[in-house]
Amino acid sequence: MTASTINSRDDLISYLNAAIALEHGTLPPYLTAYYSLHPTTNSDAAHIIRVVAVEEMLHLTLAANVMNAIGGTPDLTRPGFVPSYPAYLPDGEDDFTVDLRSFSPEAVETFCKIERPGRAPNENARLLPKADDTRRVLISSPTVEGMRFYSIGEFYAEIIEGLQKVAAGDPGLFSGNPELQVGSEYFYSGGGAVIKVTDLDSACRALKFIADQGEGLDSGLYDADGELAHYYRFRQLQLGRYYQVGDHADEPTGPSLSVAWDDVYKVKVNARLADYPAGSEIAAAVRNFNAEYADFLAMLTKAFGGQPGLLQDAVWFMFRLRDSFNRLVRNPLPGGGGLHAAPTFEIPSIAGSDPHAARSSGATAQAVTR
Amino acid sequence: MYVKFPHGAAKRTDAAAAAEVLYDAVIVGGGISGAIIASRLAEAGKRVLILEAGPAEDLTLRGYEGYLDRFYASADKDNQAPYPAVSNAPMPRSTEVRRIFPGAPDSSSYIVQSGPFASDATYTRVLGGTTMHWEAKTLRMLPEDFQMRTLYGEGADWPLTYEDLAPYYNEAEREIGVSADVEDQAYLGITFDEGYVYPMKGLPLSYLDQMVAKDLDGMPVELDGESRELRVRPFAQGRNGVPNPDYDGGKGFVPQAAVSTYQVNVGGRCQGNNNCVPICPVQAKYNAGKTLAVALQTGRVDLVAQAVAHKVHIDPQTGRVTEIEYRRYDRPDSPGFTTMRARGRLFVLAANAVENPRLMLASGLRGSSGLMGRNFMDHAYLLAWALMPEVAGTFRGTVCTGGITDLRGGRFRRRQAAFGVDIHNDGWGWARGAPMSDLIDLVDAGGRYGESLRQGLVDRVSRQLQLAFMVEVPANPSNRITVDPAFTDHLGNMRPILTYDIPDYTMRGVAYARQLSKRIFARLGAEDHTAYDPNFFGYVVYGGEGYEIRGGNHLAGTHMMGHDPSSSVVNADQRSWDHGNLYMVGGGSMPTVSTSNVTLTIAALCLRSSRAMLAQLDADSAPIDVTSNGQGRLQEVTR
Repeated sequence: MTASTINSRDDLISYLNAAIALEHGTLPPYLTAYYSLHPTTNSDAAHIIRVVAVEEMLHLTLAANVMNAIGGTPDLTRPGFVPSYPAYLPDGEDDFTVDLRSFSPEAVETFCKIERPGRAPNENARLLPKADDTRRVLISSPTVEGMRFYSIGEFYAEIIEGLQKVAAGDPGLFSGNPELQVGSEYFYSGGGAVIKVTDLDSACRALKFIADQGEGLDSGLYDADGELAHYYRFRQLQLGRYYQVGDHADEPTGPSLSVAWDDVYKVKVNARLADYPAGSEIAAAVRNFNAEYADFLAMLTKAFGGQPGLLQDAVWFMFRLRDSFNRLVRNPLPGGGGLHAAPTFEIPSIAGSDPHAARSSGATAQAVTR
Repeated sequence: MYVKFPHGAAKRTDAAAAAEVLYDAVIVGGGISGAIIASRLAEAGKRVLILEAGPAEDLTLRGYEGYLDRFYASADKDNQAPYPAVSNAPMPRSTEVRRIFPGAPDSSSYIVQSGPFASDATYTRVLGGTTMHWEAKTLRMLPEDFQMRTLYGEGADWPLTYEDLAPYYNEAEREIGVSADVEDQAYLGITFDEGYVYPMKGLPLSYLDQMVAKDLDGMPVELDGESRELRVRPFAQGRNGVPNPDYDGGKGFVPQAAVSTYQVNVGGRCQGNNNCVPICPVQAKYNAGKTLAVALQTGRVDLVAQAVAHKVHIDPQTGRVTEIEYRRYDRPDSPGFTTMRARGRLFVLAANAVENPRLMLASGLRGSSGLMGRNFMDHAYLLAWALMPEVAGTFRGTVCTGGITDLRGGRFRRRQAAFGVDIHNDGWGWARGAPMSDLIDLVDAGGRYGESLRQGLVDRVSRQLQLAFMVEVPANPSNRITVDPAFTDHLGNMRPILTYDIPDYTMRGVAYARQLSKRIFARLGAEDHTAYDPNFFGYVVYGGEGYEIRGGNHLAGTHMMGHDPSSSVVNADQRSWDHGNLYMVGGGSMPTVSTSNVTLTIAALCLRSSRAMLAQLDADSAPIDVTSNGQGRLQEVTR
């Protein structure tokens, strides 16, 4: 077995920072696909993506709870927290690309890859050297240069083992302020309840829950609460049918579902601010979205920093983000050959300090949200 | 957690095969009453058939979104806007109501209105019934509401007390999933069991409520020698909120989210959308589909939809119901139908306070007391609207989160009707069609567009304050539902005829409510814009002043319960005095409508009645002699 890459509380904090960023990093691709669906169409696809996205938010919250429990500070405003797309995730030996793109067979294939359980063939394969060091692989080891994990499941397995190891040598590991824990009164996902983390046992349960529901080491179709794992949720879109309890992985037998691949706004893949004509209204709308998103991450940072009640304000904030998202994807990108606009998730660097400082002037959202 | 509706359950029961089954209970209506009774009987091992007039579609999230799409696309955003209009099972629609002129009843829409007051009362005929469009306020009745005749000489007494019903209120609050805090809801004699908490914590007051409360709380009111202080109070609501960990002795509560045949994850908590009525976008608001799905999961409940009850057949010797004859339409959009029958040991009419007596009267069953269809009640709503002195955040939050409940009860009820007051977070929507009317005016009259239009709309609507006074209407035998063979629907079913007038007792409450609204607006520094239109369908002149009166869809009274068969239609168990195996359930059983929205009380009554039904089924274990028309043989159902 390779030596543990986690040997101290600081190492754990680095890993949990990476975990929080990883859970968040899947959201922009999911949201882009979700909002690209034409309204009133593709109910099945919309709800499947939505459920997974909301549960990634749960995973983010759980990772933040573990971070707070060991006295770290979740910070969603630090530079580089939001990845630059395309980003890369490992699928065993190979990396694959995670793009901001419209709902499409390619997008669903990517989502399946993100959520596909992956256990390394042997313990030595958990950590692998990065094939291309310039690539930003979302689950690189934060403590060992040039190495990345075989799969997301292995990444979480490493953290859980690291926690156990560090906790064994440090009885005071879980000394974080319990007031910072987000409980179920503040966070609701529908699939799985948030777990307050106060000790090694609850920390391991929280991380294992993330891995099992999401991208873990394959614990079957359904979890103990009867929730379908993310990978299988997306597989339903490929197989055209819902799973029901008792089904075999290859053969769902529930009600059929349908996908209308053409009822989608086709957006430019991984659009950048530079793709928008300078000074145009649509460029202002993109900047406005990115600034609002930065404000949102700042709000979450405060919520995880002792004001969990802000997670209720985050609900209306997400409605605002929805409106700003729609304002983009329902408009063509000038000179984009028929492709539509989309948020670029390029976060302005000054965000976080003053929530209004980053907002561009002339923002179109002002009138209706005052 | 989502509520699983068994795939295919809306269609799987073959009506012809069902006709050969002797069910323990045949229930007419798949709304909250029918769903609750079906679930409780099935849970106890009984076999149940539900006949539903609306379309035979499984409840799925996709189907629900079909309702939403229809609502979003509809120009009229009335209570029925999301739901399909099926001429074989028509629904009254508020948009179809016309002013009635003396001597000229209006038969242009489903309910024939003979006046003199035209009511815009509606109910929804789809699976889940009117809880699809209800607002989900879940107020308990006051203890005094059960003794109106004794205490105040007005209306009728119940054969039940608040204490009798209290345990069923608890159970109904669990079934519906009510969010509220006991400390906000214990007033005017309402009591709770020691240590009781609601399943979920109270939903917050809106910003508008808080703006009103800032100046209103503590406002003194003197009425009939009693003085009291008004305050803004949150309403108990059948919408999912934060589960209370102390519920059920510390076991907590799991909110019931959206219903579907496949796993979905929406509706676990209210998101503050502003169109609870006519449809919650996420199903955080309870609808009876949630209870119905659980009933169907037992496998002991059969559902035949597109089945409109036509006639209740009675054994002339025993007075017992032998079968219900119904017309099963083949398709929602064509008139073809097949006559079918349903047989059971018990029969439960759970349509509503209009359709229940309509069916009985169409079957020639007027009741030995002659009260079938009489004592129709609803709430009389008076609206008053004003502009707040500053931006008050109108249109934030759900349709209604708070109001004034201090005048729901008191000695003044000897002389005038009591009322509750809702603060409407949807501004002047009900009174004047906001925000659509504001939008149209800004565009057509103001020539606004773009950012100026958006800002103009915000400026106009965000100061709107609308108070809705929900005024009680006492039982009056001349307010009634009747039928006439001259008026039938597409399937040949006789349509309900409503004869309704607003009694002076209620109008005294209305007049007082209008005066109070002026005082409240003055106290708030709000600019009163209330003006009642003499051409409005519900325009009523009283004491020289005209008022717009609207219906509340809180239908009650038409098969009133009582102690005495000569002055009531059903007993305290909602069992018919005349027909020993027939239960008529729902708002029609209520002797007073008082000042609470009726659904929670209906649910509590049905939970109570399901106990009586189980007791009766166990007592009457002898098979009933049922004529089988010489064909087929009855098969006893295994249990």
